[in-house]
Amino acid sequence: MNRIKTSLLLLSLPLAASFAQTGHPYIHDPSTIAQCDGKYYTFGTGGGGLISADGWTWHAGAVRPGGGAAPDVMKIGNRYLIIYGATGGGLGGGHNGRILTMWNKTLDPSSPDFKFTKPIEVAASDGLEDNDAIDPGLLLDPTTGRLWVCYGTYFGNIRLIELNPATGERAEGNEPIDIAIDCEATDLIYRDGWYYLLGTHGTCCDGVNSTYNIVVGRSRNVTGPYIDNVGRPMLQGGGRMVLAAGDRLIGPGHFGRTIIDQGVEIMSCHYEADLDQGGRSVLGMRPLLWKNGWPVAGDRFKGGTFEIESERRGYALELAVDFVRMKQEREHFWNIDTTKPVTSIPLQTLDEVATSWPEGDIALRIGDYMMRPHQRWTITPVPDAGGTLTGPYCKILIEGTTRALAATANLELTTVPAFIGSDEQLWRIEQLTDGTYRIMPKAIPGQEGLNTKYVLYSIADSTPTLAEYDFNTDNSKWNLRSH
Amino acid sequence: MNHLFKLLLLALPAMATAQNPIIHNQFTADPTARVFDGKVYLYPSHDIVPPEGTRKDWFCMEDYHVFSSSDLTNWHDHGIIATQHDVPWVNAKSFSMWAPDCVEKNGKYYFYLPAVPEDGRGFRIGVGTSDSPTGPFIFEDKPIEGIMGIDPCVLNDDDGQSYIYWGGVSGAPLNADMKSLAGKPTRMEGLPDGFKEGPFVFKHNAHYYLTFPWVRHEGGTETLAYAMSEKPLGPWEFKGIIMQESATRCWTNHHSIVCYQGEWYLFYHHNDYSPRDDKRRAARIDRLAFNPDGTIQEVIPTLRGVGITQATARIEVDRYSKAHEGTTIAYNDTLNPFRGWHATLPGAKGWIAYNEVDCSKLSPNAYLTANIKASENTMLTVRDGSPKGKIIARIPITVEAGEGRRRDYRNQWYTATAQLEYIPKGISQLYICSEGTEVSIDWLQFKNPESYFTPATETPVKPDGEGFVRRWTLLEPIDKPNPSNTVFTDSYLREHFYMEYFPGQFSTVPRNGQRVKAGGQRLTWHTLDSERYNIKLFRFADALDKRLYGVLFWAATIIDCPEEMTDVRLSVGSNSASMWWLNGQEVLLLSGDRRMVRDDAVSNRLTLKKGHNIIRGAVINGPGMSDFCLRFIDKDGKPITHFTIK
Repeated sequence: MNRIKTSLLLLSLPLAASFAQTGHPYIHDPSTIAQCDGKYYTFGTGGGGLISADGWTWHAGAVRPGGGAAPDVMKIGNRYLIIYGATGGGLGGGHNGRILTMWNKTLDPSSPDFKFTKPIEVAASDGLEDNDAIDPGLLLDPTTGRLWVCYGTYFGNIRLIELNPATGERAEGNEPIDIAIDCEATDLIYRDGWYYLLGTHGTCCDGVNSTYNIVVGRSRNVTGPYIDNVGRPMLQGGGRMVLAAGDRLIGPGHFGRTIIDQGVEIMSCHYEADLDQGGRSVLGMRPLLWKNGWPVAGDRFKGGTFEIESERRGYALELAVDFVRMKQEREHFWNIDTTKPVTSIPLQTLDEVATSWPEGDIALRIGDYMMRPHQRWTITPVPDAGGTLTGPYCKILIEGTTRALAATANLELTTVPAFIGSDEQLWRIEQLTDGTYRIMPKAIPGQEGLNTKYVLYSIADSTPTLAEYDFNTDNSKWNLRSH
Repeated sequence: MNHLFKLLLLALPAMATAQNPIIHNQFTADPTARVFDGKVYLYPSHDIVPPEGTRKDWFCMEDYHVFSSSDLTNWHDHGIIATQHDVPWVNAKSFSMWAPDCVEKNGKYYFYLPAVPEDGRGFRIGVGTSDSPTGPFIFEDKPIEGIMGIDPCVLNDDDGQSYIYWGGVSGAPLNADMKSLAGKPTRMEGLPDGFKEGPFVFKHNAHYYLTFPWVRHEGGTETLAYAMSEKPLGPWEFKGIIMQESATRCWTNHHSIVCYQGEWYLFYHHNDYSPRDDKRRAARIDRLAFNPDGTIQEVIPTLRGVGITQATARIEVDRYSKAHEGTTIAYNDTLNPFRGWHATLPGAKGWIAYNEVDCSKLSPNAYLTANIKASENTMLTVRDGSPKGKIIARIPITVEAGEGRRRDYRNQWYTATAQLEYIPKGISQLYICSEGTEVSIDWLQFKNPESYFTPATETPVKPDGEGFVRRWTLLEPIDKPNPSNTVFTDSYLREHFYMEYFPGQFSTVPRNGQRVKAGGQRLTWHTLDSERYNIKLFRFADALDKRLYGVLFWAATIIDCPEEMTDVRLSVGSNSASMWWLNGQEVLLLSGDRRMVRDDAVSNRLTLKKGHNIIRGAVINGPGMSDFCLRFIDKDGKPITHFTIK
């Protein structure tokens, strides 16, 4: 595994590993990420799929029989429902598709319980009508318990049907409803009184020239009409952009939403081409942000040097060291000599202040941001340290030093003179649905296992600590500002 | 949440099929059918798979559903009307909610049910009352005094007196309250020896009929038999058999007989959905007929059942009315019989007949779909009226990879489609005939294609409410064999849209029916009104049987403005690239691989002249479904609707 990663890194740009998931994340049309016995799974077109132990490093190995296109998967009760499209008897280029469902008690192919039930057809297109029954997406409506499927491609309309969540069969008497045109790889999600229909527009399957992009419309009813941000129905081609090309990644498609924690969401997709992986189609993850009731893909966190600004007060995380004044030749502001040339004052440098800092551990506080060295943090993904669905583990160092932010056993913070890569020095940096970040140590010294509870927290305007994450308080939230 | 879901599900109509069995999502035994207010209501008992801790090899029923239908074809499940927990006197752990009945008297509905009482052994019969045939029923605290037994049946006689019958077989008059006996129970005289239960008594042409399940041979299973009398409580004269014993040895049968819209029907049950356990049964219907002397003709059970099947519904041909020798049926999923059956035709000369299919709603361009499985390429025909009848459709079955098929489909289910050669008038008996080797078939379904265009009239039309111009003169597609849309750069499009394909391309205003020669192609202009806001060029070409992909369409229309309109913009969406001209001036180009999106691109500000303005467009496509939508918007972005289209 290490060898594989190293060779990948050698082939690619230094930061490439933080742009896309690592490992062998090669997939097209990934299903919404599913979790089974602590592992993550996604299934793609053509059978098979990817497995990840931590959400960050992915490799082939998931098993789905039946071939066909663009599956989706969902845990319902204690079973997994897998839905996929089998292109039908189509005479070359035909559009008679079939949507099939099957169940499995587990997604782990090595489990003795791993056995798919016989697939059953829940929808079909006859090749002549305005629909091609492939690319299904599942929604279990949290308000009613009803199970919905959207499906279809550019050949005609996107349709909505209802399944019986107890059997995976078509609900009796259910007739399909047209909800969009000119989409592929659609998915339905529900949030806060709105149903969202995500679709993929643009050109598929053309490598680095694919214009694939993910758009969205929303409706108060699952049956539509789905309307975009300018009031245009998706039945007339409407859609607001969620994600298009960027970050050397081209052609995002096949949206899936995963809720990790309150206010922590990601969207999964594939990119038609990753420029750093030879233009292959790869699995992608982005933070999912919500702006004015619309889903928006956040940027992948790639590291950099930042002010770590508290959302609580707007103060900056800093070392608890002496404030060193900068020199300035002062003029009275009521008596400015406008003939004198204006000079630029350099920022305070590390060398000017570091000698006054203690040598061992230095504590932290939060204070007025003054662009000073004790307030400037360089955050960098750490190779081989692994990661989560939301990204790689990072180190947080004072800019230009090896001084690293670390969690302590008594749920406080410190900085240590040298980063050694231990778990309390590694941090999960996650963009929240409102655009702020939560910053979470990988582990707390003396506590078993990975930390999923404690985050960097403003316990007072000027005092940081580690406390339980709560999306409903700004104390849990930080902004990473590069200014 | 589960509870909510259950209620929602119950409100859904059952699948629209008429075949036997008639209810497809649950077991339905002992079907008592009654006609109230012009509809048939069905009160079956509800077999379930015994839950943990109950006897596995015995009947198990904990509640009742009621169903209704106005055509004996579409059944609506009104949900649960009683459970063993709701009826005060019933032992709530007995799972003994056996064969019920329901009758109407003076606007009230009386639901009779047998069950094991909380105190004591054996069965008692109780009653619940409602203002509606679907409940809610208010149940009496105690069972009816004087009755021990099962299988209640109530007869409302013409003189206003009601009678109740039960067991094997006793009867008594009911008081006017319908809840108590007006006389001592008497045993019905004149019935043959042997086990009897499930009486159903009705009156027809002044004859009283007592019909009942009957085991006529020691060690045998139940027939349906009957006796007649001129009096409601007998004595009875035994007449014979209505239905023979089950050919597959389902031990019980249980029935009711109703007259609906002038026809007589026998409701009965069989273990269709539980082949290995005859304690889980499913309701069926077949027609029943009387001889002139009032005796009943024997009913042969069919899979087809009764009722008219719409040609556009799924026609489950495994529920056939007749079949050629050697035809077999098998479960689609042996682990779940509720997934239905399919039929296998044995090869050449094999056929299945399916009667009473209503073809009257098929449009002239209707087509046929069929779910089929075969092990080699073969052919089916669908014929009208007989195995040699007129061919409605030929379904070529191509399952071997090769010419026109990318993947091997041998021994896999797939949906075949076929155009119709002939559409029967009205009700047809369909014959599905094998013209080659063995083939399995699950269902047939006729479909009316959607309608996209109508021929334009002489009358000018307005744009639609959103301003879309729906009347266009369209030229049949010019071949432009591009296998993909990646070539549609601005310069390619400029070159290819300005090529001369036919004389007068940019000068003449085409008329409906006018023909042009474009290269080697002779093409016709068609003036059409689109039924949608978007002009589906793909469907225009499809209806004319023209090339669909790798094509170039030309479109033109004339709009008539009541005044000069300034600062307007032409707004277009197209699949794929397109170019647009107003009064001979190029005003808009949509390039690249495009999907049709309303208001995808607009022109610069334009002036529409007072009077006629000519809009011309060209749409090019590789593998996509060509279409476009076009309207004008004013300076505020609002659609313009106050002009007419010639």
